[in-house]
Amino acid sequence: MGRVITVTSGKGGVGKTTTTANLGTALAMRGARVAVVDADIGLRNLDVVMGLENRIVYDLVDVVEGRARLRQALIKDKRLPELCLLPAAQTRDKDAVNAQQMIDLTNQLRAEFDYVLIDSPAGIEAGFRNAIAGADEVIIVTTPEVSAVRDADRIVGLVEAAEKGPASLVINRIKPRLVSRGEMLSVEDVLELLAISLLGIVPEDETIVIATNRGEAAVYDPSSLAGRAYINIAQRLAGEDVPVMAIPDQQGMLDRLLGLFGRRRT
Amino acid sequence: MSFLNGLFGRKRDSSAELAKQRLLTVLIDDRYKLTPEMMAQMKADLAEVLKRYLPAIDADQIEVTLSRGEAHDLLKADVPLRRATDQSSHR
Repeated sequence: MGRVITVTSGKGGVGKTTTTANLGTALAMRGARVAVVDADIGLRNLDVVMGLENRIVYDLVDVVEGRARLRQALIKDKRLPELCLLPAAQTRDKDAVNAQQMIDLTNQLRAEFDYVLIDSPAGIEAGFRNAIAGADEVIIVTTPEVSAVRDADRIVGLVEAAEKGPASLVINRIKPRLVSRGEMLSVEDVLELLAISLLGIVPEDETIVIATNRGEAAVYDPSSLAGRAYINIAQRLAGEDVPVMAIPDQQGMLDRLLGLFGRRRT
Repeated sequence: MSFLNGLFGRKRDSSAELAKQRLLTVLIDDRYKLTPEMMAQMKADLAEVLKRYLPAIDADQIEVTLSRGEAHDLLKADVPLRRATDQSSHR
C-alpha cells in the first residue's frame, strides 16, 4: 500500500505545484510508482508545470462522478512510465468534490502506487480540507517571508486539528546572500517559529522558471540547484538517511567583504 | 548561512530579526485569539483568586504575556506584591 502525501501551504505562490511536480518526478526517477494529483479544482496547473496539458481527456471530477474510470483519467508522464498525473477539472469549482470522495479516490490510488502526491489549493477552506482528507502525511511549503510563515503556522494548527500531523516543512526560495546579510529569515528562524520538523530546503533558482516554461521538472537538469534540492528532499521522503542539502552561498569573497564594510558604515 | 550569522553576528535591527520578532508576536496572537477584553477579565479573575492567599495584590499591576517556547507556548503572569511598607503608605 502506498503513502498518500499532501503538499499544502496556506499562502498561494510559494511553490506547492513546483514542489509536487519535482518530488513526484524525483521519486519516479528512483523507480517508485508515483501518482501526482491536482486537487486545485477550477485552477488546474500541475498539468502545465509537468508539460502534460495536451494529453488530458478526463479529470478528477470525472472519476469522482463516475464518468471515467481512474485508469482512463490517469495520464502517463512523457519520460517516466511509472509517473502518472490525475488532473484537476478546470470548469468546475471546489464544491464539485467532497472529503469522502477524496478519501475513496486516494484509497484507490494507494492500491496501485507507492506514492500518491496531492497538490493542494491555497487557502484553508473546503479545497484544502478535501486535499488533506485522504492524506497519511502532510508537507507544508513556505518561503522565508512573514506572510508565508504566518499562513504556514495556521496550516500547522489545522493539520494537527485534523489529526494528520505532525506535518513536515519544505522552505522554498531561500536567497543565501540575503540570509547572510541578515535581511531574510534563516532556516533556523523559520524552524523556531513553526516548530515542526524540516524535510528540506530549496534555494531561489532561475532554472525553475526555465524548467516550468518548458514543462519539464527541474530534477532532470543536473545543473539546477533547486533540482538537486528536490532530489535531496525525495531521498529524505523515501526514508534515506541523508542530511538536508546545504545551499552554497554563491556570493564571492570580495562581495562578501564589501557587503560587510557596507553594513558597518550604516 | 548560520555559520555566517554566528561569525558576523546578526544585528538586532536587521530586517530578518525584525521579521522574526514580529512573527513571534503575530503567531501567538493568531493561535490564542485573546481579545484585550478577555485579557483584562483574565487579570481580574487572577487577582480575585490570588487575593484569597495573598491580599497584597493589585489587579491593575498584573502583567500577562504569551510567548512562544521551544516545546510549548507559555503564559506568564507577573504579579507584583505590595510590600508591608507600601501597604502602610497606601492606607
